[in-house]
Parts: sequence; structure tokens; C-alpha cells
Amino acid sequence: MALALALAVPPAVALGVAAARRPRLAALAVGTAGVIFTVPSLALFALLVGPLGLGTAPAVTALALYSVLPVLRNTVVGLHEVPPEAVEAARGMGMTEAQALWRVRLPLALPVVVGGIRVAAVTAVGVATVAALVAAGGLGDSIFAGLRADDTTEVLAATAVIAGLALTVDAGLALAERTLRRGR
Amino acid sequence: MIRWEEATKRYGAGPPALDGLSLEVPAGETCVLVGPSGGGKTTALKMVNRLVEPTSGRVLIDGADVAGADPVTLRRGIGYVIQQVGLFPHLDVAANVATVPRLLGWDRRRIGARVDELLDLVGLDAATYRHRRPDELSGGQRQRVGVARALAADPPILLMDEPFGAVDPVTRARLQDEFLRLQRALRRTVVLVTHDIDEALRLGDRLAVLAAGGRLEQYGTPAEVLGRPATDFVAGFVGAGRTLRRLDLLSAADALVAPGAGDGPSVDAAASLTEALSALLTSDAALVTVRRDGAPAGAVTLDSIRAALRRAPEGEAQPGLEHEGAADGDGEGGDR
Repeated sequence: MALALALAVPPAVALGVAAARRPRLAALAVGTAGVIFTVPSLALFALLVGPLGLGTAPAVTALALYSVLPVLRNTVVGLHEVPPEAVEAARGMGMTEAQALWRVRLPLALPVVVGGIRVAAVTAVGVATVAALVAAGGLGDSIFAGLRADDTTEVLAATAVIAGLALTVDAGLALAERTLRRGR
Repeated sequence: MIRWEEATKRYGAGPPALDGLSLEVPAGETCVLVGPSGGGKTTALKMVNRLVEPTSGRVLIDGADVAGADPVTLRRGIGYVIQQVGLFPHLDVAANVATVPRLLGWDRRRIGARVDELLDLVGLDAATYRHRRPDELSGGQRQRVGVARALAADPPILLMDEPFGAVDPVTRARLQDEFLRLQRALRRTVVLVTHDIDEALRLGDRLAVLAAGGRLEQYGTPAEVLGRPATDFVAGFVGAGRTLRRLDLLSAADALVAPGAGDGPSVDAAASLTEALSALLTSDAALVTVRRDGAPAGAVTLDSIRAALRRAPEGEAQPGLEHEGAADGDGEGGDR
């Protein structure tokens, strides 16, 4: 899951930066990512097992694909919300486009970007559970094993652990987001 | 020296935002671009640092066309105070002020010393405010930081777009006083945009009055604009109170007649005619004694004020700032 996020976040942010000033690219990219996001996870795994086989590869790929939309969309939105006078001040004082991006626009958009990562991470925890079906292992295995053996205790225990994991990840990133917002 | 030559800006097919502006601002002077919205004031200002490129015509700084300069280098050499201040909300006061010195690659010690010096210059205690964030400052304090940031790399030119627009009237007046004090000390070439004619008359060595459609209606000293509006537009824009405003620009010394009585109301020779007239109106006396260094030097009467107003448009009433400079040479803010 962490690997999937690590794979998805940099290109999604880069795409968001590129799209922030180009409305048509933004519409296209967010639209495409949105379509991927709406494909049910089971169907997406089924599609990916074809070319990638069973195991970790389709699982990580699916998680990465799901992560693109929230991160991309929040990057675009976050950059749009940067106060225009701060950007104008940056240009007017002689920052290059790259300096304005790294020193002003991205730092100001960061809390919103982290908000997107948070959504992506929580989604990923849920989807990773289903990844047991493509033999990627993980806690999902326990749920499916419990279901097959009609062992309610095992199902509930695994579910509780997964929910706990999702909540922990969410809380951690929420804290990061809040700290960043306070910092601005 | 800044010079616009037939500078025009068009957006699309409509009337131009700025229509053939030709104007020269001598080095060390404050030129105020004033007029209603849609007059192209901000457009003209932004042509100087190339945030706006003219459709035709050109802008020169010390004789060199800005179009030939690298925009990034050009901008680092020009102080810029924008509308709404535009402080970077994620950086503290010190980092905001240090923006241009950092871009220029100054070393850390030099930047630190310069930040403290600038905060002191704009009247903020460095130890208290250095590490505050913009959202922990009042509107007036933010404006001060904005000015300090613009001055950080000691630029010879300062562009100010509605710099005192976002604060209450009392703070605004105080910031204007501080601007006059700073400018007397620093003598930068300043181009300042405002829609407020009072602010323009107060701060400008010269005023450029721009009307909708980006036409220059008049360029002159405050006394010239008040005394001889070039067009009906300027007369209307300056407004009905223009005679009273002119009294602000004249001193009691400009309306001096035969020696005063010595008792009754009195004003200092450097006081404005507004003060002298107030003293006349609030007493029963027919004249106000004018004192120079405490000693009676003459008097002002209603007739002598009328005569001074009649004389002044011919150009002897120079910008009121000069009177003010003489009046408070020890650097205290003027109180006009």
C-alpha cells in the first residue's frame, strides 16, 4: 500500500502542477482518473490479472491507479486556491516560474495535497483487502479464509484490524494536514 | 528616471486599457497615477516591471527600454508593493522581507542584519515581529512589512499599487505620514497608484490623472492640478472641495500681509492656510497673527487668503511637501 502511494503520488502531483494552469489538460486528466476511480476494485483486479498475473504486481498497480485521482484533483484545487496576490508578488519581485512554484505555490497548496493523499491512503487500505483475491496476501486473506470456514470470529477480528489500520492512517495524515494548515 | 513613450495596451477589440501614455518621472520623485477604475493606472504601473507588456509604445528606465531587459533581473531591481499586500502566508515576517535578498544570493548574516534594519525603518520592533506570521499582524502592520519587503534590496525604483488600500482611515493616514517621512529620507523614484484623490495630492510630487479608456488628462504638481484643472474631467474628479484642498497646499507665509496685532489668534508661518482659516473662523478677530520662531511676522486675513489663492495657480505654489519638509525637519510626521 505504501509502495502504491509512493508510486502514484509524485506523478499525480506533477500532473496536477502541469494541469493547474491548463484547464483542458486538467479536465482530461481529472476525467480519466475519475473513470479509473469508479471502476469497481474487483473488476480492476480482474482486468490487471490478465497482463500482470497473480500476486503483488496487480495489487500495487490497482492501488496506484486508484490513488491518482484524489491526489491529482487536490493538487489542481490546491494550486488554484493559492492567493493570486501571493503569486503576483512572487513574480513581481523577480522569482522565476520554478522558484514561484517551489517557494510559494506548492508550499501553499501542500495542505490540500496532503488531504488528497489522505483520501488515497484510506481508499487503498480498503482496496488492498480485496487484493487477497489476486493472491497478494495480506489481511484480506484472513477475512476470506474466515468466510470459507464460517468462522465469524476470524472475520470480525481481521475486519477490526483493517478498520483500525484505516483509521490510524487517516488520523496520522489528518494530523499532518492540520499541522501544515496551521503553519501557513 | 522612468519614461512612458506612447505606451498603449489593448486587450481584445474594446477600448484600450491604456491609450498612448507619455510621461516622465524624474529620479527621486513620487509620481501618483490617479483616476477612477478603468483608467489603466495599474496597467501603466505594471509596464515598468514587465508584468504587462505594451501593445505599442515603450517604457524606459534611465533611457533603456525595459523590453530589452531580462524580466527576472529587472524585477529584482525594482521594489514592488502590490494591492492586498500579497505577503507569503506560509512564511514569517523575516522570510517575507528577505525574499529578494535571498533570490540575489546574499549570505545569511547580511540578510538578517538587513531585515532588522528594514523592520526598524518601517516602525516595527524586529525582536517582536521577526518571527510572526502574516495572519498574526494587523492590516497596518502587514502594509509596513510589504513596504519593508519592497525596499529589501535597496532598489532605486519603487512601484506601489494601492499600497494603503486595505486599512482603516486612521491607519491609512498614519501610513501616509510614514511614507512621506521615508521618502524624504530615501528619495526613491516612486510610482504609486491610487483612486483616492486626497491620497494622491498628499503623497505625490506630481500627479498623472487618468480617465476611463486609459487617457492621460493632466500631468502636474498637486498645486497645478488643483489650481488649473486641464479638463472638465479633472475638475470633476478633483471635486467641489478643490479650493479648500488648495488651502492645504499653501502656507500662512503665502498669504502674509501687514504686521499682526500680537494678541488674538496666531499660527506658525509654516502652518497651512487651512489652519489659518480655521483660526479666523473660530474667533471674532479679523486677522490671524503669523509667527515665525515665535515672533510676529505679519498676519493673514480673509482678503489675503483670497489673494493667495488667485496668485497660486500661476505656479508659485510649489508642492505642499516642500513646506512640510521645511516645517518638520527633525523627521516627525507632518500633520496636514
